[in-house]
Amino acid sequence: MTTGLASLRAGRFAPLVAIGAVGMALLAAGPARADDDPAARFASGAKALHDGRAGDAIAAFETLADDGVTDAVASYDRGLAYALRVRIGAEVPGDLGRAAHGFEEARDLAADPKLEADASRALTVVRGEVARRRLRAGEPVEVDPGRSLARTLAGLLAEPTWSVLCAVLSFAFGIGLFARWLGKRPGTRIAGGVIASVGGPALAIAIAMTLAARHDRLTLREAVVVASGARPTDLRGLAVPGATPLPEGARVEIVEARGGSTRVRFGTTDAWIPSSTLRELAEGIP
Amino acid sequence: MKLGVALALALALAAVLAMAPGIALAQGAPQIDVQVETDTVGVGDIVHVDMNATSSDTMPSDARLPTGGAFTVRGENESPTQTHIIINGSRSDRYTLNVEWALEAQRPGTFTVGPPSVAIGGSRYAGKPVTFRVVPAGQAPPRRRRPPPQMQAPFGFSPFDPWKALVPGMDPFDQPPPPAPPPLTTDPKLSLDAPRGAVYFLHATIDKTSAVVGEQVTFSIYEYLDVSATDVAIDEDARDAQVPDFVKHPLLAEDQDAVLAGYAAVGGHTWVVKLVRRWALFPLRAGDLTIGPMHETLVRPRSVARQPRTTEELTVHVTEPPLAGRPQGYGLGDVGRFALTAQVQPRDFEAGSAAGVHVELSGTGNLPSTLTPAAQAGVEWLAPEVHDQVGPVGHDVYGGKRTFDFVVRVNKPGSVDLGSLAVPFWDPDAHKYDVARAVLGSVQVKPAPGALPAETAQPILPDLPEVRDSLQGSSVRRRFADDTAIFWIAGVAAWPLAFGLAVGGRSLGRRAYRVWRGRKTSPAADLKERVALAHVACGGKDAREADAAIVRVLEAATVVHAGVSVRAAVGGEVVQRLERAVVRHDAAASVADLLRECEAARFSPDTADVLAARDRWVRAQGALRDLEKRA
Repeated sequence: MTTGLASLRAGRFAPLVAIGAVGMALLAAGPARADDDPAARFASGAKALHDGRAGDAIAAFETLADDGVTDAVASYDRGLAYALRVRIGAEVPGDLGRAAHGFEEARDLAADPKLEADASRALTVVRGEVARRRLRAGEPVEVDPGRSLARTLAGLLAEPTWSVLCAVLSFAFGIGLFARWLGKRPGTRIAGGVIASVGGPALAIAIAMTLAARHDRLTLREAVVVASGARPTDLRGLAVPGATPLPEGARVEIVEARGGSTRVRFGTTDAWIPSSTLRELAEGIP
Repeated sequence: MKLGVALALALALAAVLAMAPGIALAQGAPQIDVQVETDTVGVGDIVHVDMNATSSDTMPSDARLPTGGAFTVRGENESPTQTHIIINGSRSDRYTLNVEWALEAQRPGTFTVGPPSVAIGGSRYAGKPVTFRVVPAGQAPPRRRRPPPQMQAPFGFSPFDPWKALVPGMDPFDQPPPPAPPPLTTDPKLSLDAPRGAVYFLHATIDKTSAVVGEQVTFSIYEYLDVSATDVAIDEDARDAQVPDFVKHPLLAEDQDAVLAGYAAVGGHTWVVKLVRRWALFPLRAGDLTIGPMHETLVRPRSVARQPRTTEELTVHVTEPPLAGRPQGYGLGDVGRFALTAQVQPRDFEAGSAAGVHVELSGTGNLPSTLTPAAQAGVEWLAPEVHDQVGPVGHDVYGGKRTFDFVVRVNKPGSVDLGSLAVPFWDPDAHKYDVARAVLGSVQVKPAPGALPAETAQPILPDLPEVRDSLQGSSVRRRFADDTAIFWIAGVAAWPLAFGLAVGGRSLGRRAYRVWRGRKTSPAADLKERVALAHVACGGKDAREADAAIVRVLEAATVVHAGVSVRAAVGGEVVQRLERAVVRHDAAASVADLLRECEAARFSPDTADVLAARDRWVRAQGALRDLEKRA
């Protein structure tokens, strides 16, 4: 169910072109020039990942990210590289969070449902490990509290789908009203009344969801916690006594940033945390 | 010889006698002597005015020098002295106030300054004013150096050696004055456009105004002390420069005395310049980063006491090194010039055992504090032990070496390649990236007897999906319908809007129709129609028809203009009804007469007269106008 809904949300209907041919062609054309060719860098990272050299893979994928390459597979493999470093016992604090960030980013950017499903599965594995560690530390195990009800509803369908629904419901609503008004036969008038009374509220909801989805697309900035415990602080950077640290790998909504602190929302939690404990999710091509 | 001694004694006696009336005269107004070092100065130059006020009564005080706005007083130094002399039992006192003003010329022209004045016992006494010619900056003639101040004899001769002034050469110990010290050589590099304060000031410099994140910026603070100043003291409660956006490493020991940097010529004065701070600053982020000022407060001399002295606030424009050509694993801030060496010992051991890896990172700049070995399956790197030997290298460069002692445990048997360690860095001198690299080589790992097979250990993060080998590729920029106004107007709002317009239009149409119909059937419209018919009827040949039309016009007119109906009224009832409706009597009577005449003509058995009917119509129109006026 999650996958299906997420697929709709990702905009299956839009004309996304998933082209791996460019990268493959460059790979096949000759030896990789690791200096400035993104495809070659990706290839070297993927090879290091196959060879179990997590450090080299991370370096390659991070360089890709520094170069501004935004690609679902690059993010996915980067997440795998961090996960591999954890798996082989060479974990650096924050690796689980960075792995979760890679998978979250891949899920957002993916045009391929299979890739999206794999990223979701990997995310579940990583968050499971985080939850296991928090359980051992006696901390709350909630790693993904989900989104708000309104945002969840808006996310049920992709924005273009909401748009199409708006147009269809608007038409139905108009036809219903005209039938109710101008219909000569009682059956026509009753049918028009029913269609209008159902289509009107449905149209209002569809418009609200379209506007919400559009607002999210244009303004929403999200990030993933990439530290083992992001402790809420006040604006001066002093830790808030008694506050529960945000879990590593948690996806949070960025409200505002000031100085070295960022105000985030995580479920019902609204807190300032050090900006260094966050890694912002890349926005896909709008 | 005897003759000479006698002559000297005679002259001394004469001098003492001549001095006595002078002392008596000094009991009144003070003696004020004003001196200047030059009478021609350039704009911005400092000129000194000296005043000696001597009194035998009390110490002069409250020295003043009006400058008139052409000069600004940059400093004032007062030196009071007292002299008490007893000669042959007679005591005389001498109070002298020496005041030195430092004036800065503001604009060209000829100006009179002063007169300087002092207060003695409630009275104020003035000296002579001084006239200066101020020329444009740089055009003033060079000045002679002022002779060093000498102790002056208050009475024109030394009481401890009266013969010295009277008979030169009599003092066998009178040595020629010592030779003047050689002139100080000033360093143009230390020169400034203008002094930042009198007597003493601070000046800060940076070796570059733009840098990349992690690149060393050398920050220096110099103190400038006027060589002619004496007894200068500074409050110990100084506040150092604030550099929150930099990592700071001192290149001079903090407890070290200031280092002489040289001499500088600033504002016509010679200053001794000392280096008090030198820091290597490493920017932490990109942006315009500010270096705050250092604050000090002067305690002495009195002329500048409690005056603050600060350095300039400086800004460094910091950017990130270019993305183009950035090597893998580059850490932002790794800037300098580094070298890396590594040693692995031993290279043969059993699985599960460990080897030591000694890594030495050396160079200048912002040496990384961590090294991340390439992680791989079966090889476990433990946290290293780090030793620093970093500090100033030479006068203005920060660097040294940092050693990392790793312990690496290998759990899989066989020949294991540990790979290499690499530290990518940005070389600011060469303006390019470079990589310091040390190859670790392979170790031979023998199987450990009794070790558990690797697969028995519980894996972390199991069931991760497979690696993908090709990029997704570029995506077409998506366009969203809801970003356009056409979608909202034509796609969403069109149908409800059309329905609304249809309903509204129909309602409006009906209302307009009703209004139109209503207007068409109104009494006024009826009257208008009847008038038109009467016109036609009276133009014809049928007198009875014309009279009937006139009657209908009058009946309608009373309804429209008076609000009463006179239909079926008989006799004087017409007049009564109209008068009740506040119609003038003559108008009401006119209408009643016309109605009666028309009725009589209509039903008369005689032949009807068309001309009479037309005359009645003319009268009826007059009656209509009367009714209209009433309305």
